[in-house]
Amino acid sequence: MKLSEDGLARALAEQDDALANCVHCGFCLPACPTYRRLGDEADSPRGRLYLMRAIVEGRLDAGSDAFETHISRCLGCRACEPACPAGVEYGRLLELARQVGGSVRPPPRISRLLLATFGTKWASRLAMLGARLLRASRIPDLLTWAVSRVRRRSGEESAIESESHWARQRSTARWRSLWLAFAMVSASAPPRRLFAKVRRRQVASDAAAAADLGRSRPRGTSTADDRPTVGVLAGCVQAGLFSRVNAATERVLTANGYRALRVRAQGCCGALHAHGGDLGRARALARRHIAAFEQAGVDFVASNASGCGAAMADYGSLLDDDDAIAESARDFAARVRDVSQLLAERGDRAGAPLPLRVTYDPPCHLLHAQGVAEAPLAVLQSIPELEVVPLADAAECCGGAGIYGLANPELGGWIGADKVHSALKTGAEAVVTGNPGCMMQIGAGLALAGSRVRTVHLVEMLDESYRLGGVYGDTQGPGAR
Amino acid sequence: MNPDLADSLTEICGPDAVIVDRDRLLAYESDGLTAYRHRPGAVVLPRTTSQVRRAVLAVARHGLAVVPRGAGTGLSGGAVALDGALVLGTARMDRIVEIDAPNRRAVVQPGVVNADLSAALRPYGLHYAPDPSSQSACTLGGNVGENSGGPHCLKHGVTSRHVTGLEIVLSDGSVARLGGMGGEAEAGYDLVGVVVGSEGCFGVVTEIEVGLLPLPEGVRTLLGIFDRIEDAARAVSEVVGVGLLPAAMEIIDGPTIRAVEESVFAAGYPIDAGAALVIEFDGVDAGLDEESARAAGICDRMGAREVRRARSEEERAALWKGRKKAFGAMGRIAPDLLVQDATVPRTALPSTLRGIAEIAARYRLSVANVFHAGDGNLHPNIVFDRRNREESGRVECASAEIMRLCVGAGGTITGEHGVGLDKRRYMELVCGPAELKAMRGVRLVFDPAGTMNPGKVLPDAPGGGGDQGGAQGGPSTRRSVGGGRVRGVGSVLDLLPAGQALVGEEAAEWLGGSGAEAVVFPESAEEVAALVRRAAESSVPLLPAGSGSRLGWAGGWPSGTGVVVVSTRRMASLVHYEPADLTLTAAAGMRWRNLDAKLRLKAQWLPLETPGLWSGTVGGAVARGGAGPLRTRYGAVRDSVLGLEVVTGAGEVLRLGGRVVKNVAGFDLVRLFTGSYGTLGIVTQASMRLFPRPEVDLTLCFEGARERMLEGAAALRASLLPVAAAELHDRSVAGREGRAALAVRVLGGAAEAEDVRTRAEATVGIEPVDVLLGNESESFHRRATEVAPEPLRSAVVARREDSVSSRLADGIKGLFDPHRVLPRRP
Repeated sequence: MKLSEDGLARALAEQDDALANCVHCGFCLPACPTYRRLGDEADSPRGRLYLMRAIVEGRLDAGSDAFETHISRCLGCRACEPACPAGVEYGRLLELARQVGGSVRPPPRISRLLLATFGTKWASRLAMLGARLLRASRIPDLLTWAVSRVRRRSGEESAIESESHWARQRSTARWRSLWLAFAMVSASAPPRRLFAKVRRRQVASDAAAAADLGRSRPRGTSTADDRPTVGVLAGCVQAGLFSRVNAATERVLTANGYRALRVRAQGCCGALHAHGGDLGRARALARRHIAAFEQAGVDFVASNASGCGAAMADYGSLLDDDDAIAESARDFAARVRDVSQLLAERGDRAGAPLPLRVTYDPPCHLLHAQGVAEAPLAVLQSIPELEVVPLADAAECCGGAGIYGLANPELGGWIGADKVHSALKTGAEAVVTGNPGCMMQIGAGLALAGSRVRTVHLVEMLDESYRLGGVYGDTQGPGAR
Repeated sequence: MNPDLADSLTEICGPDAVIVDRDRLLAYESDGLTAYRHRPGAVVLPRTTSQVRRAVLAVARHGLAVVPRGAGTGLSGGAVALDGALVLGTARMDRIVEIDAPNRRAVVQPGVVNADLSAALRPYGLHYAPDPSSQSACTLGGNVGENSGGPHCLKHGVTSRHVTGLEIVLSDGSVARLGGMGGEAEAGYDLVGVVVGSEGCFGVVTEIEVGLLPLPEGVRTLLGIFDRIEDAARAVSEVVGVGLLPAAMEIIDGPTIRAVEESVFAAGYPIDAGAALVIEFDGVDAGLDEESARAAGICDRMGAREVRRARSEEERAALWKGRKKAFGAMGRIAPDLLVQDATVPRTALPSTLRGIAEIAARYRLSVANVFHAGDGNLHPNIVFDRRNREESGRVECASAEIMRLCVGAGGTITGEHGVGLDKRRYMELVCGPAELKAMRGVRLVFDPAGTMNPGKVLPDAPGGGGDQGGAQGGPSTRRSVGGGRVRGVGSVLDLLPAGQALVGEEAAEWLGGSGAEAVVFPESAEEVAALVRRAAESSVPLLPAGSGSRLGWAGGWPSGTGVVVVSTRRMASLVHYEPADLTLTAAAGMRWRNLDAKLRLKAQWLPLETPGLWSGTVGGAVARGGAGPLRTRYGAVRDSVLGLEVVTGAGEVLRLGGRVVKNVAGFDLVRLFTGSYGTLGIVTQASMRLFPRPEVDLTLCFEGARERMLEGAAALRASLLPVAAAELHDRSVAGREGRAALAVRVLGGAAEAEDVRTRAEATVGIEPVDVLLGNESESFHRRATEVAPEPLRSAVVARREDSVSSRLADGIKGLFDPHRVLPRRP
């Protein structure tokens, strides 16, 4: 134990130069959701980097309460990276710090449980099956509704921003994790009511004309296959609870002239593990993942989960030390694209009008980690009659942050409540985002606040427009539900 | 950390607001300057003034010191806690309390981030002008503490010009409200002014009232690429010299350009350039093209290789990129970076830059410069590696030499980063023992216990910490009991040659009949000091005066009989005037009208327009302070005074401030003496900031029913149109009551003035009855201010002095006039 611990501390020490890049200017402070709320500099990126440096300097024990508290309180949203004038790679250092901390002081049980589940194929499948059954039972819906009623009666939402309230919530944290988990499962359901509303509205408008519009500009119908091939990441949560989004991803990519491949052997990409500091498991999963896609031979790896996309784009540095695979890892990473990037590259292909007012919440790992800001908006804007209203503080994390929301329900809930608050203020009928974690976190927050506003994946939105517009042909597309 | 104290702090601020765990305190070891590491004893994060007050009291009971800290972005080590002091963080006091758009003021808590305030103001078409480079992170509380500058302070002024009111918690737990409601100190001492830039040594600022400016209508940005940095620096002087006033002028030198271009932040500057100069104009759209074309022409003439102009917001961002990313890029290439800060007069830039290069070469260091050239505010960045002790030593020596070089060139040791911990050792370069003692004294008035951010700004007092200011000393600490001395007025008059005093009839004649024993005309500060000391010994009350034009000021006459008037009329020279620096130094007795004539020759002016300005002297104008109708554009008197030579009531000569626009070396005592009506000291010399005289000066005179005129004035205000002044004059025209005239003054370049004029007429909605041009316009306003000015300000300028600020003012009065030689405090 002691030996490996030293080894890990050395790993952090090897980052001395990277840590020294931080000039302590403090520009990251206002970008950090935890600092903005707590006001404690140890809960800012600069403070956390300083603690890491103190470990390297031997002034702080990796097992100390301070290190554990502040490193685990980080969302890992990486909003600090674009704010940093010195270009410190905070995300990478955080992963390393979590690994160092985790080696001497195991993370909370719930985190370990979740990471272990997702790290094992059968466990993950079993868990997802359970979640699907639970969702089908409608029990989470009922429970979420009940909690929202109780909370409304006790006036909880209004007090959510106060810090004393936050402190009080700590005692109820475990319960909150449970409600939240149920609400998240409930929020993962397809947005049937929303799309039914769209269809009702379209009855009034001239849907047929719109359908013609979609059909009039066929694309990618040539059978001579010079189309770029895209391996769609199936993912674990996506495959378990959002298979409809995966199917929609394949459809919209095909409609835009890509050849979507099912890569069978793929597993979990290891994003949750990497971000949680379980780098050993993350590397193992990454190797398996790379091998699967390599065998399939794809031009692009498309992700509809930005957390996974960001992790896969970082494979190069994750596996940098492993000479056997470093080259393939870099090659793989270079092929990773968010689905919105692939769609935006092809220009806008119009489907049927979706007369809805929506707002867009950019996932942190898309906006900050991958630097993709414009593409999702371009895709949304390509949908006729879809009104996209701006979301205040959109660039701030929703508090979901992978498993963070479940592991830190009190602070994650506080941050999430602010997101819900600004989403409701826009008057949007749906919150569009590009990551299942964000969909569930914001969706759960909305439902717990008693709102009927839904979260929808960007691809689902486009898919619905295509489907109604007859882009997939007369049979409402291959994945007709 | 005492557990009792921790408990009481927890009780006051809540459990999550107190940090005592030693490990968790690590993050508070340093601010933006990591050379200093001091772990605080505890950190407390209050939310309200009341929590601050109670926390400060609790800390005081335990004899600990308090260090206020905003976002910890400061670059002088000012926000680190020495000797286990408690850090009071304002991060949770981040509420914008009030935005009062019609009166262009806002009230904020100290933890509000600078850029967040401007973002919140954007919907109102307003902004908060000071924009330090760290504005995305730094807090307004920190800005007040440091008197922060920023690239755009060239035109709009630094923090102190924009702060109009403060709430401050003192070390004894009392709360003072200083200034406020948009007005400057109409009477009483400018306590707001002296707290701004006090680096947390006076107390914890808990609420800030700031003035707001309309967002500029248009912006033009250009980038000149030069082969030699000296040429760029000369271009800066030339731009100012021809009368242009850009919003910002920034220079990035060759080494910095190369660092930026080789980093991930590459901005597209030519890699072999010697320097790049960013010039930005803002204001009324109509005049901007002409102004930027002139500036581009100057760059060409000074040997610019090319001049790029931004045509869109993206291009503007691209031109600025190299400037904005400079520090980050330097941080990346260097293990350690020392960001220095010093100011020199603008004309001294070329020689100073040469000197810095030479110092760098001598110490074998690499120095890169990126700086606010328009203000003469240099930021030499020294790249080094802390782990190399020998090199660190050379950095230390080179820094000291750079400081001496800048001070020698007429500059100062810090323009905007503050003294903090880092520059205490250089304070003696700019302040003598008397000035340091005065600063210590003022600090003790605010913080008698010495527990507010101790160990910062001022070097340790000579002979240990014991000598903490107190009374200003003087020749004898008590009034003279000396038996052999001559008592009375005669003893004072004895000090001067016969020709320098008037007595009896002559005195009465000079004074226009008022009763005074004598009038004396000293010829130097030293003579004044001797007079004051002698007067103190002989208990002779003195009345400072210039030309004697405003002696009727109520309360001006000191109590007691046998008053001696001290006139500065014999000190009337123009000590220093460098038009390209836009600064001058004049002796106090110089008549304002003579000063103005000198400035006119160089197409410059000092448009204060305070009541009584034109019949008086420079010293009188400074002593009265106040503001005229042109305040929104040019600031009040207090904003124009850069430095003073003043003889205190204790008979000491203080040389305060300097003749550079940005100067935060030590506490800003200049602010205390400006507007103090001679109750603290006798001003003998003043350095002032000047402005280019606008090409066009015109006044639109509207007439009509009073209500109609008021409406017009309100419409102008609401339109955010940059008219220089709008004044309402009541008058009964042809015997008809209830009528008034509205005089709207428009200043600026030809195109700008024409545009503003047209729009002002449209806004008021009627044709002007008269349009005054040039000198006519100027003298119209001069007459108006001399008679009965009614500045148009809807905010109530009611300055109610609360008991705490009254106590502070008394303390300051006692400090500088311990023997009550000078007139009473108003």
